[in-house]
Amino acid sequence: MKHQSILEYANFRWFKVAFALSALAGFAYAFHEPPTKPYGGSALGYALGGVAALLVLWLLAFGVRKRLYRSTLGSVQGWLSAHVYLGTALVVIATLHTGFELGWNVHGLAYVLMVLVVASGFYGVFVYLRVPGAMTANLGDETLESMLLRMADIDKDMREKALSLPDQLFKVVERSVMTTRLGGNFLRIVSGRDPGCPTARAARELPELAKSLTGEPANVNKEVYTLLLEKNELLARARRAMRHKAVLDLWLYFHVPLSIALLAALAVHVITVFIYW
Amino acid sequence: MKLLVITQTRSRAGKPLQAKREIQGDWLRVGRAASCEIHLPDPRVALHQGLIALRDGIVVYSEGDAAVVSHTATTRKALRSARLKPGATVNVGPYRFTGEKAPEGFDGAIAIELVKPLAEAASGLTTRAGRLTLASLKLSKRWTSWALLVLVLALFFALPAGRILDLPWRAASQSPGVTGDRFWNPGPVVLAHQPVETRCAACHTSAFRHVQDRACLECHAAVGHHVGPELKPAALFQGARCASCHRDHKGVRATHRDDDGFCIACHRDLGAKARGTQAENASDFASDHPAFRLSLLEGDSVKKVRQGADELAESSNLVFPHAPHLDPAGVKSPSRGRVALDCGACHKPDASRRGFEPVSMERHCRECHRLEFEPAVTSREVPHGKPAEAVTLVSEFYASLALNGVKDSFEKAFGVPGEGLLRRVGQPSESERRVALELAKKKAGRVAVDLFEVRVCNTCHEVGHEDGAWTIAPVRIASRWMPQARFTHRSHAQSKCADCHDVARSMDSSDVAIPEIETCRKCHGGSKPVEKKVTSSCMLCHGFHDPSHPWSPGTKPGAVAEARGAR
Repeated sequence: MKHQSILEYANFRWFKVAFALSALAGFAYAFHEPPTKPYGGSALGYALGGVAALLVLWLLAFGVRKRLYRSTLGSVQGWLSAHVYLGTALVVIATLHTGFELGWNVHGLAYVLMVLVVASGFYGVFVYLRVPGAMTANLGDETLESMLLRMADIDKDMREKALSLPDQLFKVVERSVMTTRLGGNFLRIVSGRDPGCPTARAARELPELAKSLTGEPANVNKEVYTLLLEKNELLARARRAMRHKAVLDLWLYFHVPLSIALLAALAVHVITVFIYW
Repeated sequence: MKLLVITQTRSRAGKPLQAKREIQGDWLRVGRAASCEIHLPDPRVALHQGLIALRDGIVVYSEGDAAVVSHTATTRKALRSARLKPGATVNVGPYRFTGEKAPEGFDGAIAIELVKPLAEAASGLTTRAGRLTLASLKLSKRWTSWALLVLVLALFFALPAGRILDLPWRAASQSPGVTGDRFWNPGPVVLAHQPVETRCAACHTSAFRHVQDRACLECHAAVGHHVGPELKPAALFQGARCASCHRDHKGVRATHRDDDGFCIACHRDLGAKARGTQAENASDFASDHPAFRLSLLEGDSVKKVRQGADELAESSNLVFPHAPHLDPAGVKSPSRGRVALDCGACHKPDASRRGFEPVSMERHCRECHRLEFEPAVTSREVPHGKPAEAVTLVSEFYASLALNGVKDSFEKAFGVPGEGLLRRVGQPSESERRVALELAKKKAGRVAVDLFEVRVCNTCHEVGHEDGAWTIAPVRIASRWMPQARFTHRSHAQSKCADCHDVARSMDSSDVAIPEIETCRKCHGGSKPVEKKVTSSCMLCHGFHDPSHPWSPGTKPGAVAEARGAR
């Protein structure tokens, strides 16, 4: 069976639902005649606000549903598809609810948080559509762990061979073996780069250092260099794999806390509106 | 040289294991290079660290800086060479060389043991690849979420709610340093409310309750109700609050929309809402609006007459045809020849430019309409507005002429030969006096009749008689024909007067020159925009609150209901 993305789930069922919902809200807005100008406190404003608030609660419930592995209330794939499309419809409905009136207040805060949550969600969808393909292309049949093991093997082999190389060369190889690192901090994990990577440096420096070698050491050096290049290649792939994983994870570090902040701001918005009715 | 090399290692259990091999050569190289006869695969060993030769026994020579070190010496001093007798030891990097007794057929024997193995763990890449995911960095979505939740709730709810919910930090939340409840303000209030904008409590008195009319009426005490008590406004506006129409926080300009919807809701079929109303139904100025109802002065009262339905006649008691005055050829002025008059000659805009200043005899009429009574004496005029004084003045004038008039004036005035009584020679006789007095009296009588009834006063006024004296009917000219309408001439200054007021052929002062609705509709459309028409909603000409029906507790639905219950 052909792979079906969450966007295409059930023949675009949730796209249709979200579109119908947005269109309905749009028509209602176009034909509604509020007592003053369009705003959240008119009859339609309350209706749109109520729908938007329910949508927010339901969208947040996705975080619960996806952890309930034994739930039979729809598939998680279906929930995610609906989550994406109804989250998009939420922007339309909430915007109509505001009547395009925004200010520097808690109501505006709720709106901005909602937009940020949805925008980060869009980015998440983009990432989920794009990164897994790149990830597979990068990893092939391997995993990050298997690559690490292979590199450890190469390290051992390379070091053994490099032992019979002059100090200067051995030092360079030894540094690659002893100090090459993977990840470790946020920047290196997310960027997938290590500007001072000793292996890359060794791969750059070794040919120059080995120029004067002749005979057996030159042959050994050639072997070492081959191993070094192989390791460097593996490292680049491993770093890419690490970055891919990080990119898949990172947006959620914004999406989730911001959505909780939105829940708080939404609660404050609703309560304060009725306190000062 | 034939050397036996015994490589000693230890099993995992610590049991020593030995591997023996024989090496031949004059010089045996020691180092980590693979080409060395005695190969020591350890990074701490130099590529070529030493040489072994047979010089009456085994001697180890140092090569380069990395040296062979005496095992026994307290100082780790490098040796140039060391003789390896059986039992003697030297250190070569992490290795220990021990001289052994040479077996049969060998020149010597050395035992080699790695005494300081590398810490294995330190070399693995895996140890430097421990944190490959964001999760491994201990970044927590959960804690960030909780922090944001608490921050938003505290900053934007708990703190500002201190006042309205009477929380313990009520006093603090009112101080300007704290956020207060200004972050709850959904939008700017109208300009007039801005003095109290930061004081939410001015209008929002209690939590979870609509803004009460009380709060509005505190300032807007003089606001009028829409209709008078006879239409029972309490019943009409049951449940309506100020905020039913007026919503603030919707921008600085207005609290309500100029929308006909509110008006039409009742005025489309007014009879059903308010029995006894005299107003006709209206729903759109262009298509559904009754003819104008004009307020005409009738005596001391006001009569409302609808255009088209009833005969319209103004009873101003003034005789004034507009047409002759607006003759394009001009009117004859006693002093300036022919003068062409326009509307502005008599109708001057008042200070508000909404209407006009009253037309005044003194300023506008008198230049032509002089109050002379004696053609021979153009310098004398009777006073305006005082009939009795005018009669007296005329009598006195002719009496004076009969007494003092020179011959010429006397004869012109009285039409008989002679001159003033006092000008004659000698003492006038009794009969002469009587004749002169009679002459003056008769002449004055004739002139007064002429003045009042024939020539001057009755030109413009209704002249009557009462108790033997002339009376002039009081002039009542309407100045506000539609007092409820928000009409101002100022907004229509670009139009000519004649565009709306057709007086060029008016020959009677009873003609009413207020334009009919069709005239207005030439420029004014309804509430829906139409090309070349001014979109005109109800509020363009009408107001809602009528100051003549001041708001009183009796007109408030709640109060009326209470009163009924009491009865």
